[in-house]
Amino acid sequence: MVRQSFSRIIQLILVLLMLSLATFLLMKLAPGDPVLTILKANEGAVSQSDQDQVQEQLGLNLPLVQQYGLWLQGVIQLDLGKSFVNNRAVWDLMMDRLPATVSLTSGAIVVLLLISVPLAILGAKYKGKWPDHLSRLFALIGASIPSFWLGLLLIYAFAFKLNWLPTMGSGNVRHLILPSITLGFVMAPEYIRLLRSGLLDALSQEYVRAARARGIAEWRVIARHALRAALLPVITIFGMSLGALLAGSVVTETLFAWPGLGSMVMEAITQRNYPVIQGYVLLTGVFIVTANVLVDLSYSLLDPRIRSGRGRNV
Amino acid sequence: MSLGIRSQRSKIFFGFILILCAVTFLSGCSQASRSSGSSSEENTPATSVSKDITIIHSLPNDTLDPHNTWITLRAGVTETLLRLDENMKISPWLASDWETKDDRTWVFSIREGIQFQDGTPLDAQAVKASFERGIADSKALAAALKIASMEANGQQLQITTTEPYPAFPTELVHPTTSIISVAAENQMGKEAFNNAPVGTGPFKVTSFTPGSEIHLVRNDDYWDGKAKLNEVTFKFNADANVRTLAFQSKQADIVFHLSPEMLTSIEADNELSVSSVTSLRTHYFTYNPASSSVSDHRVREALDKLIDRDSIVQDIMLGHASPANGPFNASLPFGNREGYQKLDEAGALRLLESAGYTKGSDGKFQKDGKPLTLKLIAFTGVNPELPLIPQVVQSEAAKAGITIEIVSVEYPEVYIADHTDWDMSTSSYLTSPRGDGGSFLNSAYVPGGSYNPANIQVDGLEPILKELNETGDTEKRNEITQQAVTVINKALPHSYIINPNILVGINQRVTDWKPGAEEFYIVTHTLDVK
Repeated sequence: MVRQSFSRIIQLILVLLMLSLATFLLMKLAPGDPVLTILKANEGAVSQSDQDQVQEQLGLNLPLVQQYGLWLQGVIQLDLGKSFVNNRAVWDLMMDRLPATVSLTSGAIVVLLLISVPLAILGAKYKGKWPDHLSRLFALIGASIPSFWLGLLLIYAFAFKLNWLPTMGSGNVRHLILPSITLGFVMAPEYIRLLRSGLLDALSQEYVRAARARGIAEWRVIARHALRAALLPVITIFGMSLGALLAGSVVTETLFAWPGLGSMVMEAITQRNYPVIQGYVLLTGVFIVTANVLVDLSYSLLDPRIRSGRGRNV
Repeated sequence: MSLGIRSQRSKIFFGFILILCAVTFLSGCSQASRSSGSSSEENTPATSVSKDITIIHSLPNDTLDPHNTWITLRAGVTETLLRLDENMKISPWLASDWETKDDRTWVFSIREGIQFQDGTPLDAQAVKASFERGIADSKALAAALKIASMEANGQQLQITTTEPYPAFPTELVHPTTSIISVAAENQMGKEAFNNAPVGTGPFKVTSFTPGSEIHLVRNDDYWDGKAKLNEVTFKFNADANVRTLAFQSKQADIVFHLSPEMLTSIEADNELSVSSVTSLRTHYFTYNPASSSVSDHRVREALDKLIDRDSIVQDIMLGHASPANGPFNASLPFGNREGYQKLDEAGALRLLESAGYTKGSDGKFQKDGKPLTLKLIAFTGVNPELPLIPQVVQSEAAKAGITIEIVSVEYPEVYIADHTDWDMSTSSYLTSPRGDGGSFLNSAYVPGGSYNPANIQVDGLEPILKELNETGDTEKRNEITQQAVTVINKALPHSYIINPNILVGINQRVTDWKPGAEEFYIVTHTLDVK
């Protein structure tokens, strides 16, 4: 167990190192100049000597390897640097935004569960009948609709036409409803199809037939026996989705002016704010790797046949 | 037995996930609106009629640091020494008057009887401390102000610049030169201060959610008369459609940068109105001085005549723009008074023929057997109309017999600086953000300037710019700026296309307020609602 954990940590560090190197190089290759951002060149003239001075102060004139080394040295000391735009520590900026992203992630998961579980069960239970067709149709619509368009439609209907909900912003649960539906809705199709096929597979197993033969009610058979077995592949996908959700949804957050990590990084990218982008990539890397570790751990809880070193190579 | 244990485990597992979701959901909600200053309840005046307003702007803000963003001035929290009046002329604000001793030394008289929102009196020492703080915290401000030394004496502040700088007062209208209470920052700490800065304005910050919104409450001790509103909510949203829907649903009273295509539905509602304000931005084409085709003045002039500015204003901007005849808006005191170039296909053809071009059997212009094909660099930027303008010009040019190939890039400045294989490029800049043209002229027409990636040089312009840079008198500066524009227009290194308007949605309940071209003074003490 200790050995596995140790190997996991080593893997995690290697993944993050590679990720940070790739981001660092990509940002350097991308067009645009952070010095002009810092000097706010879009608001007025900037002289070449000012540009040179800032470049020197920030070490942007140093060789790339040295720049990367300096940044990495800071990361090891838990210093992700400061935003080029407003001088704030990158860590503080991200921690300001994280709670909003976490609440949106939770809202999206609730919507996702409310949509996908009932529709998948209906699809499996009434395979080939109209509830199944309905579930398929929903999955098709959900998979085809872009999130920004769905968000706009929801705002048009519920904020403008009915005036039930706020168009944008944050503050209370009412603000969270539309962005959560937008995110949950576009994620749901994948889960509906996966859960439905898992359920169909489970329902044809002998233990389900045995349960039915014992006279257990059909809904109970589905909920307690089939659903449980069908959850394993869903959990794998869920791990990936969770990591991505915690990284913040750029489109949904920007549309609803939701103050999460997604809208923060969108601004940082347009401003070539390297320290913020690098810090963000590192944080999301941690989220995704951690979410996957948690998923691996959850396998053994859901299916006791899976144990590290035996059924599965964790 | 084992089934029972497993069932229990899975219940615990799902229960844990549900609790986790609920806790994070609720904690996220409560933390999303992070109160940074004192609570709203503590500060809200106990008045029987509470007047409030909601404003939405397009640019999100991560911080309220007054020296690194415009938002605190826009939100009426901070003020500057000087300001722009309705005619874009520099006028007194926190400084009652100012004079220059020589071309490097300025003396400002700070208005008496003003207090910051924390009760600290405003004197020359406080202004000096504010500038020092700004220079230390913003490299852009340090570069713009070029301050060598400051001397505070009572209400008199003497500033010496590092070089002769007659345009210095124009810098002091910029929002990032806001005067703040450094005493308040020392007491609160930088982090807290940048979430609830203390200035001299009519409104105080009660809470700030980075990237989303600011809540403001009236400053009852404001020096220029108590504000008429009690509370203001200032929100940000980068999506024009959502901003427009928020305005139409009456969830916001003033909304900046509406999308022109949605104006028809707004006009149908008699509770809403739209104000179309001429902006300080100019869209233009830059010609490549190294191009074998457009280095010929006659070809540039022909292309200039093929730009249908009226069609661009009417069809792309739906009337919400004005045709440009120079880098600065014609309505400004230093704007070009001559008319703009109308579409003139016949004139363009004559010019091309005089330049040695002849029409081939395919109707296309050619010279020495080489067709006149031009590469035009286009980009999207923040203005949705920018990529459409090249298409209108491409169509007019095709009718005249010139082929224009449009290439879209993300950053035209970077492309231009790194490539020579282009003929024209779209450019778009705020050409007079501080009510003066000097800054733009020095950066767009001097080699090495930040707006001059093509290294354009205009013959005869250098002495005019030298004179401009040595002149402090506003009237004289305006005249010299106009002279410079005349020389530039003759050389035609650029073709100025339009000055786009800013579209601001205003609910009819809003009174005593109108948007300005500079977009500086949004929340004011006179702003009111019915």
